[in-house]
Amino acid sequence: MSALSRAWAVCAKDATQELRKKVAIIAVFFFAATALALVSFGVGPFGLRAEDRPPLLAALLWIILFFAAATGLPRAFVAEEETGTGLALRKTIPAVYVLAGKTLFNFILFLAMAAVTIPGFVILLEWKVGSFPAVAAIMVVGGFGLAVVSTFLSALVARAGQRNVLFVLISFPLLVPLLQTAIRATTQATTGEFPSEGLRVLIAYDGAAACAAYMLAAVAWED
Amino acid sequence: MTRALKLLLLPYMGAVIVAAFLWPAPAAGFIGESSRIVFFHVPCAWAATLAFIVGAVSSALFLWKRDRRYDDVAVASIRIGLLFGVLTLVTGSLFANIMWGTWWNWDPRESSYLLLVFLYGAYLFLRAAVEDPERRPRIAAAYALFAGVLMPFLTIVAPRVTASLHPQTVINREGKILMDTPTRVVFFNGLAAFSGLFFWMLSIAARAERLSRRE
Repeated sequence: MSALSRAWAVCAKDATQELRKKVAIIAVFFFAATALALVSFGVGPFGLRAEDRPPLLAALLWIILFFAAATGLPRAFVAEEETGTGLALRKTIPAVYVLAGKTLFNFILFLAMAAVTIPGFVILLEWKVGSFPAVAAIMVVGGFGLAVVSTFLSALVARAGQRNVLFVLISFPLLVPLLQTAIRATTQATTGEFPSEGLRVLIAYDGAAACAAYMLAAVAWED
Repeated sequence: MTRALKLLLLPYMGAVIVAAFLWPAPAAGFIGESSRIVFFHVPCAWAATLAFIVGAVSSALFLWKRDRRYDDVAVASIRIGLLFGVLTLVTGSLFANIMWGTWWNWDPRESSYLLLVFLYGAYLFLRAAVEDPERRPRIAAAYALFAGVLMPFLTIVAPRVTASLHPQTVINREGKILMDTPTRVVFFNGLAAFSGLFFWMLSIAARAERLSRRE
């Protein structure tokens, strides 16, 4: 099996497993929908001054996406330990492909969640997308970074106590540069500009995180 | 550290502190004597950065050699780094109160440094949460290295893409050291003295870590 097909096999396994149970995936989307409804109820289309809308709505959008993702992304490796399948996976597929497959699944999950949340955000809060290609690029690049970091940290906390609290504690400081840059870039995109500097920083962050995760995958996941 | 170097550190540190208060004139554009904080605030930040780098290098060496002594150095170094990190925040806050009238104003540099302290505080939480003593140093080393790779985005990139009240740092856009000669001499000697203090503290803390592991 090639490297890509091994990673894809892990991704497909996770997708089948999660779609069969449904609870975790529904929880992610339900969280995003609830947060969106809450923001919409609190702010509404006229609750903010026009000049404050681009930065505040961009921040609210990323807060919704991040916290909704945080309910599902840490499950990547934790679920393997909970179901007792971790050992079998460790013995059959090298750690780096497991990490790649699970990152891919989390990335797809994030994009699906963004694809559902953003139209809701546009309708309920009358959010002006501005440059759609720019927003799409930010979601892809930002979502990839979020998936890489979350999946790697999930491998680290998989066999630790107090996993959920621990995951938030260790992931938040690492993800702040990504979220801060993504919010600034999204603000810029809503005004119609192409956020080239923000995207460059996000790509650099993704590259650094992916290389580090690749180098450390075996350490994080080995027995 | 050798005994002679340790004995030299006390008068050296003392001389730097006395010089910091008496030799350079206060910098223009700052209220009163507040600019003198640079001789303590920046060396604390430098010592913290040095500690986190030593922590990452020791973690890498542990993963390579699988020798627990490197893990002892890593955890001791990161603990000391946190101490210097908190001192950096405290000295920065003192300066902020004099210059801007508030102890904390969510300046990008203040915030990113606070997050850096959280980032390495999380390292200690992670260590505490992994119960298996064989797995603990490996997981902690992986986190320290991963955090080390992403740390520049928090401390170098993030504060520079947003407007900040923080005075120009040694690493500035012009690439120039904006100091007169007395300030420069005291400042760089301060960095050397705090580095020496860090390595002395590290040698004690790493030994204590090794002894506590043997119990």
